[in-house]
Amino acid sequence: MNAPVLMFALPLLTAFLLPVIDRLSGLAGRWIGPLVLVGNLLLGALAWPHLQDAPLVLAMGGFRPPLGIVFYVDRMAMLFAMGVALGVLLLWPAWAQDKDRVRISTLTMVLVTATTGLALSGDLFNLFVCYELAAISSYGLAAAGGSAAAGAATLRYMVISSFGSALMLIGIALVYQATGTLNLAQLAVLSDALAGPQGLIAFIFILLGAGVKAELFPVNAWVPEVYGAAAQRVAGILAGIVSKLALLIIVRLLVLVFRQPEAQQILLVLGVLGVITGELAAWRAQDLTRMLACSSIGQLGVMFVAFSIPGPAGVFAGLAVALHHMLVKPALFLLAERWGGALTRLPGAAQKSPLAAACFVLLALSLVGIPPLPGFWAKFLVVTAALGQGTPAYAGAVAVILAAAVIEASYLARVAAHLYRRVTQPLSANRQTRAAVTVATCASAALVSATLWLAPLGNSLQVTAAQAADRDSYIHNVFPQGVQP
Amino acid sequence: MTPLDALLALSLVTLLLTLSCRHQVWCGVLTTLLYGVQLMALLFMSTSIHYGVPVPSGVHFNVLGFEMHWAMTPLAWFFALITLGAAVASSWYASTSWGRHYAATGGSPGLLQVALACNVVSMLLLLCSADLLGLFISWELVSWASFLLMASAGGAAVRHALHYLVYAVAGGMAVLAGIALVYVATGSLSFDAFVASLSGLSAGRLWLLLLLFGGGFAVKMGLLPLHLWQARAYADTPGPGSAFLGAISSRMGLFGILLVLVQLAGLARFAGLVLPLTPFTALDLLAWVAAFTIILPTFTALRQTDARRLLAWHGIGQGGYMLLGVVMGDALGSAGGLMHVFNHATYQAALFFSVSAVVYRTGTSDLDQLGGLVTRMPISFTAMLIGIIGLAGLPPMNGFVSKWLIYQSLIREGHPLLFIAAVIGTLGTILSVYKLIHNMFLGQLRVEHEHIREAPWSMTLPMILLSAVVFATGYLPGLVLRWIAPVQRELGLPVLDYTLGGYQSTAGSLDMIWVVTSMLGGFAIGAVLFYAGGRARRVHQLDNYAGGHFLDAATRYQYSYNFYPALTRLAAPLYRDSFQWLESALVSMLQLASAGAQGIYRSVHPSLYLLAAAVIAWLVWGGGH
Repeated sequence: MNAPVLMFALPLLTAFLLPVIDRLSGLAGRWIGPLVLVGNLLLGALAWPHLQDAPLVLAMGGFRPPLGIVFYVDRMAMLFAMGVALGVLLLWPAWAQDKDRVRISTLTMVLVTATTGLALSGDLFNLFVCYELAAISSYGLAAAGGSAAAGAATLRYMVISSFGSALMLIGIALVYQATGTLNLAQLAVLSDALAGPQGLIAFIFILLGAGVKAELFPVNAWVPEVYGAAAQRVAGILAGIVSKLALLIIVRLLVLVFRQPEAQQILLVLGVLGVITGELAAWRAQDLTRMLACSSIGQLGVMFVAFSIPGPAGVFAGLAVALHHMLVKPALFLLAERWGGALTRLPGAAQKSPLAAACFVLLALSLVGIPPLPGFWAKFLVVTAALGQGTPAYAGAVAVILAAAVIEASYLARVAAHLYRRVTQPLSANRQTRAAVTVATCASAALVSATLWLAPLGNSLQVTAAQAADRDSYIHNVFPQGVQP
Repeated sequence: MTPLDALLALSLVTLLLTLSCRHQVWCGVLTTLLYGVQLMALLFMSTSIHYGVPVPSGVHFNVLGFEMHWAMTPLAWFFALITLGAAVASSWYASTSWGRHYAATGGSPGLLQVALACNVVSMLLLLCSADLLGLFISWELVSWASFLLMASAGGAAVRHALHYLVYAVAGGMAVLAGIALVYVATGSLSFDAFVASLSGLSAGRLWLLLLLFGGGFAVKMGLLPLHLWQARAYADTPGPGSAFLGAISSRMGLFGILLVLVQLAGLARFAGLVLPLTPFTALDLLAWVAAFTIILPTFTALRQTDARRLLAWHGIGQGGYMLLGVVMGDALGSAGGLMHVFNHATYQAALFFSVSAVVYRTGTSDLDQLGGLVTRMPISFTAMLIGIIGLAGLPPMNGFVSKWLIYQSLIREGHPLLFIAAVIGTLGTILSVYKLIHNMFLGQLRVEHEHIREAPWSMTLPMILLSAVVFATGYLPGLVLRWIAPVQRELGLPVLDYTLGGYQSTAGSLDMIWVVTSMLGGFAIGAVLFYAGGRARRVHQLDNYAGGHFLDAATRYQYSYNFYPALTRLAAPLYRDSFQWLESALVSMLQLASAGAQGIYRSVHPSLYLLAAAVIAWLVWGGGH
């Protein structure tokens, strides 16, 4: 069962071959990328039944861990790998810019490779390589719009991200110095060596490094500017997908390696600060794109809070929020492609594109966490899991998350009111593109069906979370014969 | 399929039908009929409810380990009756003439009907929830359905609806926090688990739960200090919508309080909960919140110059009576509080209908721009007269009975100060409703209103019916009290010994049949004397004189502007809009914080410096080793 490796290898191969293929046939060049993504989805669907009981551990080239490169494919990893394929497929950036399609498609395929690798990799070295690959391809994509603003924003993003990568590398070096290995399972075995201050510093460095992409406060200041300047499809991919995969690194490390309570506390505090600053900044935003970007910071903050809760309950809650956001935010960004800019230009939009406006409202309601939509259940899981910790810090975090929901409701309802304001003069609002309406409708339909089939989905996700939070089985799966010291 | 399933399914079908035929002219008629059918389905359950047997629903879900089910209890039935009654009346009122007029002035009657149907479905779901999760979900649905109804008019109404929404979501989140606390403590969200978890709680935890649940529900009810949103949001809702909201929507908050704090937690628990460093208990706190909710909004209503705002402010104030009665916890007070929910719904809807009829004909509800319409719109005038007598709590209307019960209870339970507060509220109400009817229907007719006719029958009939109910249930309060007895039993409160004309107990009794009959007899004698003895000559309404001078129509001899200036001057220093001030201070603080947060994300430098400093510090420090 080596299909998951193909999910990594196929996009990589396509990325290299794409310029050649496009030279041979423009039609093939246009469609090969989406086709590969569909293939990835199929591969994932084929592999999914094999993950029900135990995760797959794939050693590249037959080199047994801890020596070789290892892919650890559990349900959580596969879920995110498929999420990447689906999300990028729906937001395929080259469809919006046919002129630059070869360059953009190539970069997108590299990004898919990197993010899939982030989901599947079982060692820190590989994770770092994939993270860098994702970073570089996202610079290219963010700047691909060609506007001066996009260029300037991307340059700043690049500088921040490079410093972040440097920090992450230092953190990984510290880990290696303390343990002599970068394989996650072996690190899990040796985690006692990282229980001291050196381990904590290593964690903070890796956290800040990965946090740049995961929109972690305070290294997320690039977010509104880049999302505002880049193509909305790219913003959707960065906010919806890349951020979650960067988050996944932190989750794996927290579960397996850094088990000191200080690590969780740091994540909790930074998460809460992210919620506060993100939502407050979004509240005053006068521009839809900027509002969505800031709201995404707030949502990521909620995820950090969730993942800072020890045990399967925290992972369950965090996964629920992450998957929900992965579904909702890209669709909202895609709608902002035509509705971006000042909010005051929105009135009349619902008259021009009624379906899109209805989808926007539904997605926004779920984002706020209005029952019975899935966003509510995700938030409810976070709230109960956090209160279950019984400490004042977590109770405070719950208060912040709930207060943030009020602010969120306030600004999203304001947007909805703008959308539905009737105007009689020539309308300034743009009509939605067919692609945006399609994606938004799909996302809304997915939300509604998730609401209807909440029970099986919830149970399945709970099993996934339990599997991901089970440290002993991770070690056992990678080293079935026990650990060689 | 149980009767409750049938009712809920009917309600859902109503919503779907309204949604699919909202553009048709007969949509309003259809929905009115459908609400009527729902009302029938509800009355079909009345026997079972009367004996205190809940009607369960056959539908239940198990979601993520939470069991969700529904049942119609006597409490739910009582509120559902008012909800559906208000829906029938409002939908009827909006159905033909008013709807056409609304459409002609740029509104969308179809959207209004859809919003109304959403409200009814979500309210029925809320009332029938039999677990905390279902309660919260439908609570949020009710909040957003109200938002839809308020915002359906567009324009300034949207601004007020957004204002409401912030309060509503905040209240919802408080309830959610309370529910999550219960869940963490018990691992279940059933009512039984909630009750069981309460017994071992520390005082601090109990206060927290009281504040979260009570505060959350209080928002919808508009209890002080969470009332600022209500008047503007309700008043700007299009006519029948405001009647529906004013009649029942805000009472959902009282329902929440009754269910969670009275039935599940029990008032006795809060009577033993002492506010730290004071002699007051939590129950005293609730009672005084109710008392201030009576007084301040009533005197704010007095100062309004818009008829709809005035009524909406009274709606907040009357909510205070209901809570005050219930908090007393005895048979009289709780019966009075519960009965006032019904009574208020009937006269408030009639009053809003009457005002809307005037708006329909004159285009304004500004009290400074009206007057003298009594001969032009006699039915609307009569409806308003009956309504304001009910609102002021005077015999022979139903508002008198419920307030009388509450006064009796306040005196018996030994709360003279609360009694005085309630009486002050009633005094303010009388003054302000006089201003209402005087400025609209009495006094000098305006020239531009000379050719105004009465509103059409589709609007006056609901008014007449409601007025008839206001009078009938004032004459025979036993009609309502017999529904309240099972509710009291279910809530665990002492049950009032009611009779058809009132109540009968060892300490006292009330027989409205006697009171009203003798009152009407007195009026009859007066009328006979008036018509038999006096010589009257009919003159045109604009044919007037004052101080020996003839007045032409352009001279205003009767003013409506700046009504009760002395009283307003007297009361103003006691209440300097402090809640408005508090709210705007909070918003300003939030804006400041928001500007700060935006500052963080305006430039990328902070992140950059942080990261750069970390890297360089590490290189220096690491290089040193």
